[in-house]
Amino acid sequence: MISYYTKLAILSLWKTRYMSLLAVIVIAVGIAATMTTYTINHMMTKDPLPSKSDSLFLVRLNNWSPESAYKNRDVETAPVYLSVQDAVNLIRHDKAQAQIPIAGFKDMLKLPSQDAVDAKMTFVRSSTRDFFSSFEVPFLYGSSWPKTSDINGEQVTVISKKLNDKLFDGQDSVGRTVELGEHQFTVVGVLDDWFVLPRFYGESTRAFKAPRDIIVPFQTQLNLELWSPNLQAFECWKETEDASVAAFWASECVWVFFWVELNGESEKRVYMDFLNSYVEQQKALGRFQRPTLNQLQSPSAYLKERDAYSSDSEIAVWLAICFFTLCLLNAMSIIMTKFQGKAGEVALRRAVGASSMDLFQQYMIETGIIGLLGGGLGLLLAQFCLFFSSQLYTHLSKNIMAMSVELMVITVVLSVLSSLVFGLFPIANAIRVQPATQLKSL
Amino acid sequence: MLRMANLAKTYRTDTIETKALSPFDLEVKQGEFIAVVGPSGSGKTTFLNITGLLEVSSEGQYWLDGVEVSTLGDKAKSRLRNEKIGFIFQSFNLIPELNIYDNVEMPLRYRKLSGAQRKKRVEQALEKVGLASRQKHYPSQLSGGQQQRVAIARALAGTPAFLLADEPTGNLDSKMAAGIMSLLKEINANGTTIIMVTHDLEQATQAGRVIEVKDGVISEIKNLAQKIA
Ligand SMILES: Nc1ncnc2c1ncn2[C@@H]1O[C@H](COP(=O)(O)OP(=O)(O)OP(=O)(O)O)[C@@H](O)[C@H]1O
Ligand SMILES: [Mg+2]
Repeated sequence: MISYYTKLAILSLWKTRYMSLLAVIVIAVGIAATMTTYTINHMMTKDPLPSKSDSLFLVRLNNWSPESAYKNRDVETAPVYLSVQDAVNLIRHDKAQAQIPIAGFKDMLKLPSQDAVDAKMTFVRSSTRDFFSSFEVPFLYGSSWPKTSDINGEQVTVISKKLNDKLFDGQDSVGRTVELGEHQFTVVGVLDDWFVLPRFYGESTRAFKAPRDIIVPFQTQLNLELWSPNLQAFECWKETEDASVAAFWASECVWVFFWVELNGESEKRVYMDFLNSYVEQQKALGRFQRPTLNQLQSPSAYLKERDAYSSDSEIAVWLAICFFTLCLLNAMSIIMTKFQGKAGEVALRRAVGASSMDLFQQYMIETGIIGLLGGGLGLLLAQFCLFFSSQLYTHLSKNIMAMSVELMVITVVLSVLSSLVFGLFPIANAIRVQPATQLKSL
Repeated sequence: MLRMANLAKTYRTDTIETKALSPFDLEVKQGEFIAVVGPSGSGKTTFLNITGLLEVSSEGQYWLDGVEVSTLGDKAKSRLRNEKIGFIFQSFNLIPELNIYDNVEMPLRYRKLSGAQRKKRVEQALEKVGLASRQKHYPSQLSGGQQQRVAIARALAGTPAFLLADEPTGNLDSKMAAGIMSLLKEINANGTTIIMVTHDLEQATQAGRVIEVKDGVISEIKNLAQKIA
């Protein structure tokens, strides 16, 4: 029976092809608008690292001025960054499963064999080896640097696949050397494709950008005094001793994000106790003259506090859903008109013995096919819209604009189901005709 | 096989009430050929539609093969129509986008028959009306008379006990009409009960019984042939 109904549906769709095409397009446009905005919103607000979102925390300590609260807020909060000395101390105490400072600088990058004019200004991330394990960063070649590199500040580096393709033609470059400014770094690892969305661990304003392409040990940045004040946001409440980088490192200026990995409530409690005793100890040394506001903040809480998620994209989804409903109502009226032309056939089929249920099934299949085609076309349109948005909004990374297979299946199912729901009324209306009256008029 | 008692039909719209059929009694036995005559608007089609379960009467009772039809639901009625009743309409009512084979097969699709069984029946029915060679044609490629024969084949394919025909020759010239008439008589001779509405008194004389509908009043005419002579 299904195959018979499908055959009839295809014949009927062909017979009323312009109207059917119109219904398909209307549904497709609605689906595309909804799924495009939904995809963008979904990618922007999803959990970036589901396996770790319960165990990663941003460490916040209140080392601000005795005179005024950080940013003069009504409800005082600790700065989002730590000073270099606190970051170094916390790493040295080694009380968490993993300690991940997020710092960086920029410098001219080239191969030793390249001319100086070929050097490219490059943003460098600096962190510890824990960065790779805690953030589950995949490696293509080599691995992260050893612990000794973190301790001694060795000149080693891990580079992205993209950079490896550019500098080394995608070959295994472990052991090769790159030049950052006047310093040489040995490649110890090459990352595979890697993307966290939203990129929670750094500046919230760059949460939707790609990770940096080259990563070096934090201690190495400190040792080499690599500092780019015009790249790196920093906040100071008092002048540094002098203008030197060493003085800046030793100051109360904050600029290092500091993440720790802690598994379970008890580890978190123990670490909190540690932070409290650390701050007490520092207070005894004359620092931390404000109320203690030690905090372990989850990635999502941090992103929320920094307004990384714009509510615009959520509103856009609601608007798109309204628009989709409007499209469905439109499709409904087209389907209605389409089925009105079927009164004669309905009457005839009723006369030769089709029950209401038989006809209901037949027309549901026809409507379902419209929904299916609409969903398919909508999916194509959505891909196009996503591609187009990624070209238009270059501040958003290309990966936000990608639909998962699940989402694609959901899209088509949604299209079919909503078409069926909105087709119910036109179908019920069409098969309700009195066969007698229709046959007389034929 | 068919019995109507006190059956009547009134159409009610918001403003007007049309008495289409006044109460009447009627009994039809298996194998009869009944012609229904009467002026336009007198209620012939209404009578036929009620008989074919396409419409319900507003009063009275109607037994089809011993079953009182007002007790039946949509599904049961559809089944009765499908298995016991064949319709032939004045305007053929073929589906233009289906070919002849598919048109004739249509009633069989609503039965639990295998593809092979359906094929056999469709071919037999088309054979009977002499259009076996036109299976792949579409209705628009046939003449009016041929189209009506396809409609008859469609009605026959389900091997109904009853054939209800509403002016089957109304849209055809006299030569084609005569062909259809002899086909119907042949079908009747094979045991199918036929009730046929017609304007043509000449045709009516060829039926076993003649019923006249006049302003909704149903009566039997005896010896029609002598009357018109
Ligand atoms: N659905 C309806 N609603 C209201 N009145 C109706 C309806 N169908 C038929 N009638 C009326 O019932 C009466 C009988 O109609 P019917 O179609 O049975 O006539 P008929 O004898 O078949 O006429 P013709 O020979 O022209 O086909 C007519 O007066 C018609 O106007
Ligand atoms: Mg009539």
